[in-house]
Amino acid sequence: MAKSDDTCILQGPLVFGNVVIGMCGIALTAECIFFVSDPHGLYPLLEATENDDIYAAAWIGIFVGFALFALSILGIVGVIKSNRTLLLVYIILMLITYAFEMASCITAATHRDFLTPNLFLKQMLERYQKSETVNNNDKWMAEGVTKTWDKLMLQNQCCGVRGPSDWQEYMSAFRITHSDADFPWPRNCCVMDAQGSPVNLDGCKLGVPGYYNSNGCYDAISGPMNTHAWGVAWFGFAILCWTFCVLFGTMFYWSRIEY
Amino acid sequence: RPRHPGTRTMLPLLLLLLATAHSLADKRYVPTLATSPLGGLKTTSTFVLEQPRCAFTKVQSDAVIWLVVAIPEAVANFSNSVGPGTPERAFQGFPARTHAYMTLNTTLRNYPCPKPPGEITVLRVGSETSCATDETRPTCNGPLLGPGPYRVKFLALNGSKPVAETAWSKPITLKTALPPSSISATGSGRSTGMIALTSILSILFAVLLAGLVAMLFFWGSHARGSSTFSKPEVVTVRRYNTHHVYDQPAARL
Repeated sequence: MAKSDDTCILQGPLVFGNVVIGMCGIALTAECIFFVSDPHGLYPLLEATENDDIYAAAWIGIFVGFALFALSILGIVGVIKSNRTLLLVYIILMLITYAFEMASCITAATHRDFLTPNLFLKQMLERYQKSETVNNNDKWMAEGVTKTWDKLMLQNQCCGVRGPSDWQEYMSAFRITHSDADFPWPRNCCVMDAQGSPVNLDGCKLGVPGYYNSNGCYDAISGPMNTHAWGVAWFGFAILCWTFCVLFGTMFYWSRIEY
Repeated sequence: RPRHPGTRTMLPLLLLLLATAHSLADKRYVPTLATSPLGGLKTTSTFVLEQPRCAFTKVQSDAVIWLVVAIPEAVANFSNSVGPGTPERAFQGFPARTHAYMTLNTTLRNYPCPKPPGEITVLRVGSETSCATDETRPTCNGPLLGPGPYRVKFLALNGSKPVAETAWSKPITLKTALPPSSISATGSGRSTGMIALTSILSILFAVLLAGLVAMLFFWGSHARGSSTFSKPEVVTVRRYNTHHVYDQPAARL
């Protein structure tokens, strides 16, 4: 195949561009595997809201990352060999991968907007320590929410979504089985000693500062979820912008290859 | 009618005396909610009062101080002589059958005066749940059933004789819990970041697709002008040429 000067100059940047895409693909896969592994244990909360699409976005991200890596190798080979077939296959497959990654980014960004404090508050009030569950699915969700909230309140020294007043301002499934006088808020809102029992139960019930957790858990929930959603969405966006440039250059290169 | 010569001075004096007497009477201790910041100051069935320290100064130390909780309508004709533990003052009948109940009895020795600084001296009204329905415990400090309002006062009894009392407190209204269905959990709308991301990505994708179409079209028109198709395994090329290059069958074969 004859090469014009144009193609010679383009080869270098295109190979470099594909190398970067390959590395970013691996990084994207690693990042999405990290998010899917749910290190903060917040997945049951999302599962119970029936709105866990930011996890779907991360799953797509894993496969897109692999695809980007594989296609970048194909692209490098195609550019160096100046092979029209290879490059055409590369461009079409890259466009398909582009579409999938676009879906993942938009899903992550859109569904992050649904995760408001009120959503978690409503779910906590309706499912935490819910005892009369109607079916297996309901029971599963209630258990997930209860375990997650107990762990959350214990580990982050917090109570409720905005604060312990959540348990006072609203009726809840918890209130049905636990009387307000004995449990103004769940036991895990109390400051615990090393054995896992409240340091001062009366002080906790009274709400004496120092014996109960007066801050809300929303920061502990939204922090990891924001990182997750923005990590998938904006890193994917950055990769796609770079891929756009490389693909455009490849199309131009392809049209300049002469037979 | 001629006035008494001393009226001018007597009337203001009388008014002054009345005012002083009135304010003296109002110097009685008024029960208040706890003053230190407590998260559980008022819940849906309990509230926390400040202990009546230094409220009963002229009472002997073995008198028993009772807390009286009443609905505001019962304050006007409340009788101190009805003893605690009677059905008229039983917690279990409040507020359906009786309008007031007495509870949290303790001797004055447990409210030493003055209050040590830095200590939290409070009384939690409504903390005993075990005896709330037990009719044999009429002086139970059970949880209140409704949000109120309620008015309280402290009454000192010597045996069964009332010897001193505080003033009635201001009405205390407890919290009311809303149902969770009243929380609107709909999304907060689209954030600007998400809109920017979606629009930019869509534009880039559209440009790429347009580029792909232009590329293939350009290739088609370019191929029309070229004469060598030497790669039989390039299937797409041959198929494309079959559609467009009608007038050069000889060159293809």
